[in-house]
Amino acid sequence: MDNDAYSFALRNTLNEITNACPDIQSIFLFKEDGDIISGEEKAQEEAAVHAVDALDDVLEKAETLGGVQSIILEGNKGTVNVSRTKDFYLVTVVPEKADMKYINTLTGVLVPTVLKLLEKINPSHNRGTPSEPENEEPTVEPDVKPIQESTEETAEKHEEHDVSETSLESILPEPQVNQFIVENVGGLFASSDTVRIDGDTMSQWTELYEDRKIEEVTIETFGGKSTRCKLKPIKDSKYEGKGIIQIPEKIQQSLEIKKGELVKVKPIIE
Amino acid sequence: MVKQKKNIQETTSEFEPIAIERAAHEDDVRPILENIKNCDTVIGYILRNTTSAAIDLKDPTKVIDYATLSSAAFEASEQLSELFDLGKVKNIIVEGKDTKTLHLSIGENNISIFMEKSADAKKILEQMHLP
Repeated sequence: MDNDAYSFALRNTLNEITNACPDIQSIFLFKEDGDIISGEEKAQEEAAVHAVDALDDVLEKAETLGGVQSIILEGNKGTVNVSRTKDFYLVTVVPEKADMKYINTLTGVLVPTVLKLLEKINPSHNRGTPSEPENEEPTVEPDVKPIQESTEETAEKHEEHDVSETSLESILPEPQVNQFIVENVGGLFASSDTVRIDGDTMSQWTELYEDRKIEEVTIETFGGKSTRCKLKPIKDSKYEGKGIIQIPEKIQQSLEIKKGELVKVKPIIE
Repeated sequence: MVKQKKNIQETTSEFEPIAIERAAHEDDVRPILENIKNCDTVIGYILRNTTSAAIDLKDPTKVIDYATLSSAAFEASEQLSELFDLGKVKNIIVEGKDTKTLHLSIGENNISIFMEKSADAKKILEQMHLP
């Protein structure tokens, strides 16, 4: 199961929860490394990005409490509930008079169950995220240490090995899709065919794809338009680590997007 | 007419603790916090307003960590409230693995109460609403 399928399963779960509890104003999952899974609506995606940004500092500072297990923010008109489930934080936003008991029961059962199922189906998924680069290669590991293994185990491994042997060298993790917020590119010498993202993401990609140089990306909008552009790291440090992609005006126009919108970015590995 | 007014007040007091507005001054809030701090499960509190700050924690080495967490919680609550149109923030409870915190604003005072995980934050919240 690749990243897309994993996200699809979780996204569907969130949508089903929303269908079952129309009271829910917004619901999404996020990881501390910035991965967000939300409902299908674009507005929800954007709100989730901003909410994660707002929560980021609290999560960091709450290390002094032993890490966040839950956050409940009660306002006059509604409540934000953040609860930790495995590596994810589940955020639900509900209006003042929502049936919290029902919502909490549903989310508290469904989300952990789906996460558990997904983990069983594909235990390596969580270890394969960019936030934990040291564990990123289990999907392509050729398993060349049969000496200490039992014959049975060795046979099994050989079977797996045979299946993937032919294309082992060329197997790489599925190109990862990241979401970024569009920002304009400043400067007189800004190249019109080059987009910029922060250096950390580029390094993660390089590590993930076994040190292959990633010089191009595919940008896809939520409206379905996509284009291929050259890639360079962000020069301005104020944009680093903020999930921003600097896109020249010309490309923004061709994709019919503007500053502040979300786009999906996939590295091109050649 | 008079009767109508009385009804409105009664309804309001049912949902919004008027005591919060009354206890807007630091001098009013301090005794309540001192009282709360005497609970075994309460670790301490931070009381801040535009002119002064009072910190009373059982473990003074945690002052900076707790103060930054307090600021971050209030900042996040404002941003989230604006983002999701939650209206005025009543309170925020952050529960960690070992401890939890309650943050609320009374008048101009921003209050953060730190407590052990076993503490009942809702009960403490009720105490903050004492007339």
